[in-house]
Amino acid sequence: MALVAAGTVVALFVAIVCGLVIGPTSVPTWRVVGDIFAHVGIGHNTLTPLQSTVVWTLRAPRMVIGLLAGSMLAVAGGTYQGVFRNPLADPYLLGVASGAGLGATFAIIDISHGNGTPTWTPLLAFVGAMGAVIVTWLIGGRSMRSNTSTLILAGVAVASLLTSAQTFLQQQSSAGSITRVYIWLLGSLASAGWGTVWLVLPYVVVCIIICVGAGRALDVMSVGEDESRSLGVPVRRVRFIVIAASSLGTAAIVSAVGLIGFVGIIVPHIVRLLVGTSYRRILPISVIFGAAFLVFADTIARTVIAPSELPLGVVTALIGAPVFVIILSLRRPVAV
Amino acid sequence: MSSVELIELSVRAGAKVLVSNVSLAIEPGTWCTIIGPNGAGKTTLVETIAGLRRPSHGSVSILGQPVAAMNERERAHRVALVPQHPVVPAGMSVYDYVALGRVAHHGLFHPPSAGDRRVVESVLERLSLVDFRQRDVATLSGGERQRMVLARALTQSTMVVVLDEPITGLDLRHQMDLLELLKSEVHECGLTIVATLHDLTLAGQFADRLVLLDGGEMVLDGAAATVIRSDELAQHYGMALRVVDVDGADVVVPVRHTPHVNGA
Repeated sequence: MALVAAGTVVALFVAIVCGLVIGPTSVPTWRVVGDIFAHVGIGHNTLTPLQSTVVWTLRAPRMVIGLLAGSMLAVAGGTYQGVFRNPLADPYLLGVASGAGLGATFAIIDISHGNGTPTWTPLLAFVGAMGAVIVTWLIGGRSMRSNTSTLILAGVAVASLLTSAQTFLQQQSSAGSITRVYIWLLGSLASAGWGTVWLVLPYVVVCIIICVGAGRALDVMSVGEDESRSLGVPVRRVRFIVIAASSLGTAAIVSAVGLIGFVGIIVPHIVRLLVGTSYRRILPISVIFGAAFLVFADTIARTVIAPSELPLGVVTALIGAPVFVIILSLRRPVAV
Repeated sequence: MSSVELIELSVRAGAKVLVSNVSLAIEPGTWCTIIGPNGAGKTTLVETIAGLRRPSHGSVSILGQPVAAMNERERAHRVALVPQHPVVPAGMSVYDYVALGRVAHHGLFHPPSAGDRRVVESVLERLSLVDFRQRDVATLSGGERQRMVLARALTQSTMVVVLDEPITGLDLRHQMDLLELLKSEVHECGLTIVATLHDLTLAGQFADRLVLLDGGEMVLDGAAATVIRSDELAQHYGMALRVVDVDGADVVVPVRHTPHVNGA
C-alpha cells in the first residue's frame, strides 16, 4: 500500500511537470521546476516573461483543471461503484452526463442561435446535470422501500429521456451548432482558465473530502444493505450524502470541461487491483491517480497532433484500456 | 426484564399479512427457536426483531427499549444478526470482515480502538478462526464461512443474537459444531438467542423454548420437549411425524404417507 501510494504521488509530480513543460513553446524542465519552487518561496524566478506567460497563464490552469477533473471523476466513480455495489457504475450513472449534455445543447443551439458557444454553457450544463440527478433521486431513491437497483433503473430512464430531448434539439439546429455540441460533448480542457479553476475548486474539494470520508461506510456497505444496517450503518443517509457529493462534484467538472469518459470507471478499477478492495484505500489513491492520469492524457491530447488536439476522452480510453488489461492479466480479478 | 419482547406484532407486505398478532417474551440467557413450515413467517419475524422490517402493528422491544425508537447504531449495540444468506465480499480478509462488527462501537469516522481490536482477537480465538485471519473470505468453506459470520455477530458484543437458518448448507458435523458453539455462548456469556431452524431434531435438542409459526400466526409456544412431542406439530407441517428417543434425545422422524416398499 505504501509503495503504491508513493508511486502514485511520484506519478502525480511527473504529470504536473509534464503538463507545464511539454507544448509547442519549448521550456526547459529545470526552469519550470525552479520556477515552481520560486512560487513557494524557494530560490528565484527562472523563466523568461514569455515562458512565464505560457506556463502560468496557459498551461498551469489547464493542468490544474485536469488535476481537479481527474481526481473528482475518479473518486466519484469509486464511490458510485461502492454505493451501488456495481463494477460498471461510473459518475454518469444517474443522468449527470445526459443532463449536462441537454443543458449545454440548449445553450449552444437555442440561446446562441448557432453563433458560437455562449459563456453560460457551463451554467446550463450544471443545472441540467444536477436537475437530472435530482429527478432520478425523486423517482428511484427517496422511497424507504427503494434499493440501489431502483435508483439505477430510474437513472437509465431519465438519461434516455434527456438524451432523446437533446437529440431532438440537435436535429432542429444547424450543422455548425451540431459540431460545437459534439466538440463540447467530447470534453476538453482547452478553454480552462484560472477563472474556471476558482469556480470549480470549492465544489471539487468539498465533494472529494466527503467521498473519501465515506470510505469506511462503503467498506461496511459491501455486505449489502440489510447487513450494513444491522451493523449500525444508516445506509439510506450515507447513500444520499455520497451520491449527492459525487454528483455535485461531477456536475461541476462536466459543466466546466464537458464529458470526459473512462476516467471514472477505469481509475478506481486499476487502483482496486493495486491496493485491494477496501474503499479506505481505493478512494484516496484514486484521487491522486485520477489527477495524474488525466493530466498525462491531456498532455498527450494537446501535443500528439499539434497544433490540433485529440479529443481527451479518446486519449483516456486509448491509454486506460491497455493499462487496465495489462494489470488485469497480471492480477486475479477482485470483487467490488 | 425480557431480552426480547413482542407485543401483538403484525407485519404486512402490501396487502399480504406475513406475521399476525404475535406476542412473546424471551428471557435473558435463553435460546428460543422459531420453527414452522415454509412461508410461516419465520424470517419476517426475526428480521423484524433485528429492526430490518417495520411492524404494521404492535411493537418489538430489546432489553426494554422499543426497536422503533432506536437508530441503526443504537440497535447494533443491542441486537446482532446472522442472516440466512450473508453477503461475503470477495477480497476482504477474515479479520476485516469480523471487525465490521465493531463499527457501531467506534463509528464510521474513527478507526477501531485497541479495545475494539482486543474484542475481535478474542472472538477469533473463541471461534478458532485465528489461523484464517488473513484469508480472503471468498476462499472459506461453508462451515468456516458460517463461523466467520457468527464471529462478526459476536464481535458486536450484544446481549441478543438473531440467527436466520444459520446451519443452511452445512454438513451434519458443521451443523453440530456451530450449534454447540452457540450453546456455549448462551451458557458462558448469558447470550439470548433467537433462531429459526428447519431441522426439528436440532431445534428440539438445542433450544430451551420452541415457537411454532404457521401462516404468520404463533400456534404453539413452550418448552422444546413439549412442543416437539405435541400432536399439533405434525398437523401444522401437514405430514406424519414420529418422535424417537435416542439416548435421552428426541429425534423427529418424518413418516411417508404411502405404504413403504424397500427402495421405493
